[in-house]
Amino acid sequence: MNAHMLEHGGAALPGIAADALDTCARCGFCKTGCPTYPFGGGFETYSPRAKVFFLKEYYEGRATLSPEWVDRLYRCTTCERCQTVCQTEIPLIHLWEKIRSEIVEQGLGPMPAHKKIRDFAAQFGNPYGESADKQAQWLLPEHKPVDEADILIFGGCTASYKMPSMLQSGVTVLTRLDIPYAYAGGAETCCASPLLRTGQIAAAENCISCNLDLFAQKKARYIVTPCGGCSKTLKYDYPAFARKLGKTFDATVMHFSEVYAQLIREGRLKPSIFTPKKVTFHDPCHLGRSQGLFAEPREILAAIPGVKLVEMPRNREESRCCGAGGGVKANYPQMAAAIAADRLREAEETGAEMLVTMCPFCQGSFAQAIQESGSGMQLSGLDALLLASLPEQA
Amino acid sequence: MDFQEALKQDFGEAVSFDPQILHSYAHDMGEMPKALTLMIKGRPQAVVVARSAKDVSTLLRAARSLNLPLTPRGQASSGYGGSLPYRGGIILDLSSFNRILKIDTDKGQVDVEPGVVWEDLAHRLIPHNLENRICPTSAPSSTVGGWFAVGGTGIGSLQYGDLLENVLEIDVAVPDGTIRTCSGPDMLPFYQTNGTLGIVTRLRLACRKAQSLRTIACAFLNAACAVHFLDTAAELAPYSATLQSAGYCAMLAKAERRDPAIQEGFLLSLTLPETGFNPAAAAILAEAADGTMLDAALGEAEWERRYYPMRIKKAGPSLLVGECVIPFDSFAQFLIETQKALPSDHFGVEAYAVKGRKLAVLVYIFDNAADFLYPLRMAKALIPLYTAIKHGGRPYATGMWFAAAAKYVYGEEKLGLVREIKKKTDPQNLLNPGKLEGPSLPFLPFLNLSRCILAAGKILAPVAARLSYTKHLRPQTEGEKL
Repeated sequence: MNAHMLEHGGAALPGIAADALDTCARCGFCKTGCPTYPFGGGFETYSPRAKVFFLKEYYEGRATLSPEWVDRLYRCTTCERCQTVCQTEIPLIHLWEKIRSEIVEQGLGPMPAHKKIRDFAAQFGNPYGESADKQAQWLLPEHKPVDEADILIFGGCTASYKMPSMLQSGVTVLTRLDIPYAYAGGAETCCASPLLRTGQIAAAENCISCNLDLFAQKKARYIVTPCGGCSKTLKYDYPAFARKLGKTFDATVMHFSEVYAQLIREGRLKPSIFTPKKVTFHDPCHLGRSQGLFAEPREILAAIPGVKLVEMPRNREESRCCGAGGGVKANYPQMAAAIAADRLREAEETGAEMLVTMCPFCQGSFAQAIQESGSGMQLSGLDALLLASLPEQA
Repeated sequence: MDFQEALKQDFGEAVSFDPQILHSYAHDMGEMPKALTLMIKGRPQAVVVARSAKDVSTLLRAARSLNLPLTPRGQASSGYGGSLPYRGGIILDLSSFNRILKIDTDKGQVDVEPGVVWEDLAHRLIPHNLENRICPTSAPSSTVGGWFAVGGTGIGSLQYGDLLENVLEIDVAVPDGTIRTCSGPDMLPFYQTNGTLGIVTRLRLACRKAQSLRTIACAFLNAACAVHFLDTAAELAPYSATLQSAGYCAMLAKAERRDPAIQEGFLLSLTLPETGFNPAAAAILAEAADGTMLDAALGEAEWERRYYPMRIKKAGPSLLVGECVIPFDSFAQFLIETQKALPSDHFGVEAYAVKGRKLAVLVYIFDNAADFLYPLRMAKALIPLYTAIKHGGRPYATGMWFAAAAKYVYGEEKLGLVREIKKKTDPQNLLNPGKLEGPSLPFLPFLNLSRCILAAGKILAPVAARLSYTKHLRPQTEGEKL
């Protein structure tokens, strides 16, 4: 059963089903950690624990993928909290994505908004249906990308088209330090994160294939991106797809925060403008739990004179999701907004005046939450805060 | 009006009759064999998500007028079947009834609703410079009300005893829907009895002042030495103590793909307040008990993973677990007899020290619930229980499966009191039926399933003990002293 499943990023589903699902301790740690479970009316059935129980029954032939179960299985931001608290270390994210890909293969999904993402990605190369002509419009006059360099900037769709400030700040930092960078504005395709997370493997493969060709053509040694979803996908999904597609992919993928932290350690980046701010930091799921980037943002904040960090009770690995990932913001916008509002309240309770994050997706969620709640909380990308503390001539 | 219409009228979107949703409530943490679960009507006919005491009262009255059994459920994070229905009816999901009502920093008290999760409570107490006195090892998911219903000891019990000793007051909704406030001995009938007499709607807990803790790890050649150390270490005013047998350490090492912390004997983790922390004094006491202080990092790592005792299941896939409470003085003999009774298995022992020179002991054996002999091998989980009873101990809890062992868990006097209250207040036996006496078999109502389990377990245990699923680790030999 399910032997036809595409293998990427781990073992094929039958192996996982046999080994991992059986080891579920049913302890419920995943349930209390899940940001979407409370939005299922409080019924156990919407918890990751119940989903694991269902998957075991499904793979053993005692349950079917009803429309209700398909809906429940898409009510997940793939924030990975369930996976990090799992007593028996079940690779839950892999399971969620695998079952979604099976749902798609069987024609039972994805959800309507996800189909739109797929169609836009196929037609325009991005999930927003924006023209590729607009992809490089975020570039500021002072930005000077070159044709070929060790560093290739991968803007990502959300940053390029919707929330450009992190991308602009990051590239400005590189420009000020005279670090050469290439950029393929107009030729970049969606990294495929929203497609992979929603189980649309074939569509994802097309996007990935285009980008792999682009990376090979640009001969980049480092691919740098401001986006949590893009960096996760490029780091962990692209190598497996490159092997499958018989293409080369040997670049090192870095999120901008990794670059800043490295430059600070090397003494090349010296924030010196006093920035008296009491801030709290939201760890983006796909950067923190997925990539382990917990120390870097804190290192950067600590280097900015005047910035005082007050942590939310749930930080680092325990951080709460902003609600946007896994296709949830696209198909369940009200739930996503409510999750972001909850997290915003946590931030407010710290007494911080500013909420800082480092993923355009998270920033978009919080911008909406602040607007809708009328909160007085300021919102900033880590990049912008860093940039403001740098003298014009770094 | 049928029962669905009646419940819908009272609870609207908070009630469900959807078979898919009902199915999610037909199990708890335990992996019971199909043959056993088929003997009960484990799937409810309705689920109600309560968010207030009023919801609980309303549902109690509705259940009485509809003549439907009502089974309260927290996070179902124990495996005794206490939150499973046995003749259908309504499940009352209390996990969303979870507000922290009041934190009194001066008095060091907190009032909570029953669905509050222990770890969440710990987080919320931090700004008030308070901490939970005790909590279960399942603190990231288990609820305050759920632990009260099961009755328990856990982390911190060496200093603070069991949960009842740390609850100052409760509000409890009794079967006719009225809410009573109880404190002191009046709370006793409601503690450990799985919500059979009433559903707790508020608990006032005593907290401890926040203080940093340090954990040291020591190795001992055998259980007697470890227990001797625990006795002498009382002068250090320890907060918590855990013992892990070399067998348990081997299971954990297999699950985590690393070398075991110890090769033989016992690993003892002792958690002490940082104020007055004196590892040199602890080392002298350990040496006097033929023990050795281990690397400081090991102790801290054990504290960090205190909520993850089930990590070993990763190497399972299933676990047979025998859980009991036993006096310090009987522990060594208990282990000798348990080892003798389980000649074919590798098993692990984990124990938490409890105030009053007791240990809450878990005996783990790897197994596979999908294997056709699993139901028979499950009898092995009863070996530690019977051995504990023989040595002045008792099973840890009752739930549904071990309800017939209530006299050992509650004591005869409390059991009598509980039965009397039940008869008076719930003559229809609608509130969590089957958890005081044990469920009766559907086609043979004169037979009690829990008694059958305990009796069959006793008879079959010697046979089951010859059958090992343990492919992973060889059985302990006589030379590997516990």
